[in-house]
Amino acid sequence: MSEDKNIALTVDNLHIFYKSIEKSSIRARWTKGRQKVEVFHALKGVSFELEEGKILGLIGRNGSGKSTMLRAIAGVFSPDQGTIDLHGHSISLLSIGVGFNRKLSGRENIYLSGMLLGFSEEEIAKKEEEIVQFADIGDFIDRPVKTYSSGMYSKLAFAITAILETDIMLIDEVLSVGDKKFKKKSYNKMRELISDDTRTVVIVSHSDDTILELCDIVLWINDGEFMEIGDPQTVVDHYLEFMEVPKEKSDGSSNIDLVV
Amino acid sequence: MKKFFSNIKKYNKYAIRSAKAELHSEVADSRLNWLWWVIEPFCYMLIYTFVFGVVFQNKTPYFASFVFLGITTWDYFNRTVSGSVRTIVSNRDLVTKVYIPKYILLISKTYTYLFKMGIALCIAFALMLFQRVPITWRVIFLIPIIFVLYVVTFGIGTILMHAGVGLNDLENLVRIGLRMVFYLSGVFYNIKTRLSGTLQFIVLRANPSAFLMSEMRKVCLEESLPSFEGLFIWLVIGLILCAVGIHLIHKNENSYAKAV
Repeated sequence: MSEDKNIALTVDNLHIFYKSIEKSSIRARWTKGRQKVEVFHALKGVSFELEEGKILGLIGRNGSGKSTMLRAIAGVFSPDQGTIDLHGHSISLLSIGVGFNRKLSGRENIYLSGMLLGFSEEEIAKKEEEIVQFADIGDFIDRPVKTYSSGMYSKLAFAITAILETDIMLIDEVLSVGDKKFKKKSYNKMRELISDDTRTVVIVSHSDDTILELCDIVLWINDGEFMEIGDPQTVVDHYLEFMEVPKEKSDGSSNIDLVV
Repeated sequence: MKKFFSNIKKYNKYAIRSAKAELHSEVADSRLNWLWWVIEPFCYMLIYTFVFGVVFQNKTPYFASFVFLGITTWDYFNRTVSGSVRTIVSNRDLVTKVYIPKYILLISKTYTYLFKMGIALCIAFALMLFQRVPITWRVIFLIPIIFVLYVVTFGIGTILMHAGVGLNDLENLVRIGLRMVFYLSGVFYNIKTRLSGTLQFIVLRANPSAFLMSEMRKVCLEESLPSFEGLFIWLVIGLILCAVGIHLIHKNENSYAKAV
């Protein structure tokens, strides 16, 4: 990586363990005592750096730690070992549905999610109409989120993160969201957002086409371990080889909606 | 502690907005819903006044106001303590998607309960006027009493909130505990006349809900000053509980998102 470029995101030797709080009950603790804590090592020392304005694709098979990585970068939980440095950039995680309060209306959730992403009420008020327009869910915007179909839910979630542009966007399998029309719209919006030179994006996708088309670099992790980072075509080829998927077959997989 | 106050500063607007939205959604479900905030305590007051005033011939002066003030204090205490246990789990959507200091969720809840307590206090004053209770300047001591109530319940709440993440059945235990505290709080009887000696001392001093309830009645109905010594002691205990709870949450909140 060239020295004159600004680094937007540095992940250094990232380790994430799943353990600590074991789900149990008072009764179980009474009868069995403290159970052995099982530790699952989800990420085993992954390091990479991402320049400002670049788009990173994250690939790996199910359970390899892709979503965990995104959540750690977004700050949902902090690293058990290693560091994540955002260099002062604002960040949002767009996975299937941001944190909505299901009892509240969509409009109210725009504000609450926006505030949690670090925007002020005034900033959100300015963008509110644009978000409502983009989400395109009609009168439902004023109804409780619990009444939404899963498509509407995702549309609103996408609209919020897409319109309230943060410096770094983490995108988890959302390009396959909503109906055909919205899919196209969100894809175009994504391209628009991505084409902005200052925006840094990390995309998790199982669709090789999406990765190859959108990303500047690709990071491949397997079982929480760093495998390769670099030119999309090369890394994807190695990945497919590793997974023993013949190339012709993989082309069809882009139409299948995979949810992590 | 520094982290706690900077978090409060940063997220307080969110907590207020979320509390308002929560209250609003309760009203939105049906137009008459806010009436329940009034009707419910009022009906309990009528029941207790009838059962314990008429059937058991309780001679406490201004018994209806006496009971109503008790219910007001109890409701706040009960709602916060019982609500805290499931706070993290019931906000699962949020907790797993964005970072939020977890006690902000509890603070937001306490705001809605404080609002309801405010309404109940207005009714209490209306009732006192109706019963021709001589109201003196000493009612201003309601402010420190409610402050101590807030601190103590928040302290208990944060600790239970932390424990509730790992223990599935803690809720049941808390429910039983609260039922016991309810009967030992003197919501519908006067501990000072019903119990005597050491028992009265212990019940009144060791149970924050009973103590604060009795202090409220002192300044509102008995034209006397609160026990400053007692308030101070409970404030200190409350602050210690808060410190313990906040410390537990800071130390463990990293793993909440993984556990729920």
